Amino acid sequence: MELILATSECDTTGEVICAPADVLELFEFKRALFSIGPFHFTRTVFLIFLAMLVVLALFYFGLRRQQLVPTKFGLMVESLVQFVRNDIALGIIGPEGAKYAPYLLTIFTFILVGNLFEVTPFVNFPINSRMAIPLFLSLVTYVIFVVVGFSKNGLRYVGDLVWPRSVPIGLRWLVGLIEFVSVFALRPITLAVRLFANMVAGHLMLTLLLVSGWIFMSSVGDIGVRAGIGILWFVFGLGIFVFEIVVAVLQAYIFTLLSAVYVQSSVHPEH
Amino acid sequence: MQALLAVQTILAQAAEGVSGNIDNLSGPLALVGYGLAAIGPGIGIGIVAGNAIQAMARQPEAAGVARTTMFLGIAFTEALALLGFVLFFIA
Repeated sequence: MELILATSECDTTGEVICAPADVLELFEFKRALFSIGPFHFTRTVFLIFLAMLVVLALFYFGLRRQQLVPTKFGLMVESLVQFVRNDIALGIIGPEGAKYAPYLLTIFTFILVGNLFEVTPFVNFPINSRMAIPLFLSLVTYVIFVVVGFSKNGLRYVGDLVWPRSVPIGLRWLVGLIEFVSVFALRPITLAVRLFANMVAGHLMLTLLLVSGWIFMSSVGDIGVRAGIGILWFVFGLGIFVFEIVVAVLQAYIFTLLSAVYVQSSVHPEH
Repeated sequence: MQALLAVQTILAQAAEGVSGNIDNLSGPLALVGYGLAAIGPGIGIGIVAGNAIQAMARQPEAAGVARTTMFLGIAFTEALALLGFVLFFIA
């Protein structure tokens, strides 16, 4: 434990593994790799561009019109598109869901690639662990389902929400209030926080277990055979590594699924 | 790394609190708060998954719909547990 405590007085310019002062550092502005005017290019920005390029390359090379029989890679990409279109867009929203399938496919693939950066060997940093990205994606979904709700149902969208006619008259104000807060305030926040917290928790656990395992094992010269506990942490970290792959795919799927459910509740508010 | 340090400082503050000094109890209180906040979603997810398995066993043709709705239910209940986890780090 002394060795880990000793890193608390390191300086942030030299050391890579430094214990920060408090956890607010997760939300603070890190020193940028370089800046162009007011735009600061941190590693997060580079990783977002990389994710975008991976998504674009995936779809461009996978869906180029081949002959009647597609290649194996094209088959994979086609099955991904079909999965999002049939199971999520058409399955949840109904026949009008085909309009929203491109958007759902985009966010599904982008979040999937971004989450899988957690387990790629030299990157190990999920881009959804910085709150800006899940927040922005959730805001786009929010704008979409609110605009669709108003354009399809007019003002009756909010009217039927805050004054539901299928509830006994004495409780209508309460249910209406709960529904209003839940739809317009809680939905975007929980959508973003769910993705963000899952990624932060996974990243934190992996960093903690793997780095502390490595530090323990590499300090054999100082504390002798007691460094063997590092092996335990490292193996546990490798187990969490595999679990993170499942969490990455699951969180991308859940974000897309919930976006489809919110759009569906705007398109068919009577359900 | 910072979580290990954070937990260590919280345990030190908790030890101080037990011996009578209540100035610095926000850390330990946040930890206890997160522990309490994880009970509800734990039970809730168990209920959702259990009922989904039962539905899939009773009617295997509806397994697809049951699986999708199970994921939906798990996402909603897990959001609250993760909200507690994030708030533990903020406080």
